[in-house]
Amino acid sequence: MKTQLTIPDADGFYAALIDLHQGLESAESAALNARLLFLLANQVGDQDVLLACLRAARDPLSQH
Amino acid sequence: MLDSKPMKSTHDSSGAAPTLVDGGAGYQLPVFPFVTPPELAGERSRRYPVVIVGGGLVGLTLACDLATRGVAAVVLDEDDTVGVRGASSRGMCYAQKSLEVFDRLGIYERLLEKGVKWSVGRTLSEGDELYAFDAQLDCVSAQAPFLNLQQFYVEWFLVDRIAELGLTDLRWKSRVTGAVRHDSHVVLQIETPEGAYSIEADWVIDATGANSPLRDYFGMQINPERGTDRWCICDVRFSKQLPAERWTWVAAPFNEGRAVWQHPMADGVWRLDYQMAPDCDPQRVSHPDVAHERVSAHLGKDVEFEMVWIGPWHYRNQMLEHFRLGRVLFIGDAAHAMSPFGARGGNSGIQDADNLGWKLALVVNANASGSLLDSYCSERRAAASENIAVTKRTARFLAPQSEAERLLRDAVLSLACHYPFARALVNTGRLSVPNRYPAVTGIDGAGESLQNVPVKTPHRHTTLARYSLEQGTRLLALYFPLSPTDATADHLRAHQHKWPLLRFAVCAPGADLDDGGALSEPPGTLVLVRPDLYTAGRLQAPTVKTLEHMVATSLTQSLESSS
Repeated sequence: MKTQLTIPDADGFYAALIDLHQGLESAESAALNARLLFLLANQVGDQDVLLACLRAARDPLSQH
Repeated sequence: MLDSKPMKSTHDSSGAAPTLVDGGAGYQLPVFPFVTPPELAGERSRRYPVVIVGGGLVGLTLACDLATRGVAAVVLDEDDTVGVRGASSRGMCYAQKSLEVFDRLGIYERLLEKGVKWSVGRTLSEGDELYAFDAQLDCVSAQAPFLNLQQFYVEWFLVDRIAELGLTDLRWKSRVTGAVRHDSHVVLQIETPEGAYSIEADWVIDATGANSPLRDYFGMQINPERGTDRWCICDVRFSKQLPAERWTWVAAPFNEGRAVWQHPMADGVWRLDYQMAPDCDPQRVSHPDVAHERVSAHLGKDVEFEMVWIGPWHYRNQMLEHFRLGRVLFIGDAAHAMSPFGARGGNSGIQDADNLGWKLALVVNANASGSLLDSYCSERRAAASENIAVTKRTARFLAPQSEAERLLRDAVLSLACHYPFARALVNTGRLSVPNRYPAVTGIDGAGESLQNVPVKTPHRHTTLARYSLEQGTRLLALYFPLSPTDATADHLRAHQHKWPLLRFAVCAPGADLDDGGALSEPPGTLVLVRPDLYTAGRLQAPTVKTLEHMVATSLTQSLESSS
């Protein structure tokens, strides 16, 4: 799992992400995030990296 | 509808002809007579090599397999007919490996005639098709990818075939009420309409199903896991023309957004299976009026149909820690039970019988030591473990256990309408496949199931499974020559006497066996094939020494991961 930045324009991505959620109810936002998660996971396409990301997301201190 | 072949009359009870009775809902079912066993006819009791307890799908498959290998078994069944109360909701989808086993046992043609073969599955959500597959595409087997047929017909055909083979002593109305294990044998207590008796067996096979009483007699623990998911089967007969395909809905609009299965079966009957609300009342959901309304919503108000069977059900997961206890072996649901998603229950039971049959035949005939049976346990326990894990994932997809799970599941469904990658995540059951068996120390290419390809000998057309059986219960060394002048096989064959349990076959056009390239083995390869069509290993440039090692290992099976 990469822990150094690889997103070319990090602030731009963050801004796009919050714009995406503008005007959505919590449930709609949660559904959007879930769809986004699967789309991104398929871009990663590496089982070990994906599982490491799952662990890190649940426990940010997890060193995997 | 009535298509029982005339039964050959033989001296034993398996040859006694059944009477046909109305099984309800348009089915006619055989009832087999109780025949006084020798033990109750004043004959001295003798010890039997193999006694199979339970004449259901799996017990009968094993009895039939043993009979094709010349091994006589006694089968004890508490009932006197096939199926459980005949038309009830049992298995109906037979996967390719099972059909290949049935080809070898000699009932495939009958299954084909009676059942509905299919290869296309479609998954729908709301009204949209999410994806479809066609299992015919990668198939080189002589058998169809899938065939649907009410379980009692399969059992019936097995009973007929067993009678035809004339070796098996099939005892109906014989309930086992007690069992005691000894080092050298097992004693079973049996209750019949004419009184009780006991018999001794060298080997006892428990094929009594998920509620096995034998496990209790032997004090074996099994811990069931039960969930809240509830389903209700409605088998219906109707005239509306629908394609012979497996259709599944994850969230059917006509079933309150819950899952639905739609499968064709024999006699124009369809299995419609509806997911119900968690922990619903089985009495209420299976009430005929309620069920009728449900089917009507599914098929359309204008479609006339006849209800054949309504059966509410739920499932449990359970597996024995050991599939062998001394001289007792557990097969099918007696050893492992799981949800029916992917048709892994009955099909894995048939594979248990397929795995055990040839090994037991070798042991009974003193061609192998009893330790060969340990490989049944390690191989089939690994398979059961995998099947339980796979079916649990499906269950979890179909019945999310929390709001978060439902959110993720629904995200997959909405993406699947647009993106191919997400379709792979839609899980309405991963259909039964032959499980890969654990690796064997020092052997390459073992544990893989070969498809039952059509093959040609110099004299005729047959299949790999039938050819294998004709060699006796032996390993088959298939050699794929580098060229027409490749003398490797001749060299190995000169040492044939070292391996009484091995037969050689050169695979090439015009040679012993021609697979037409279907097995896709590279030239120069020797594949050692077990009687269940699993590979015992592969050798490139085989020598007498390397082959010797492989043959010895496959008949003793030192497995890397044993249970």
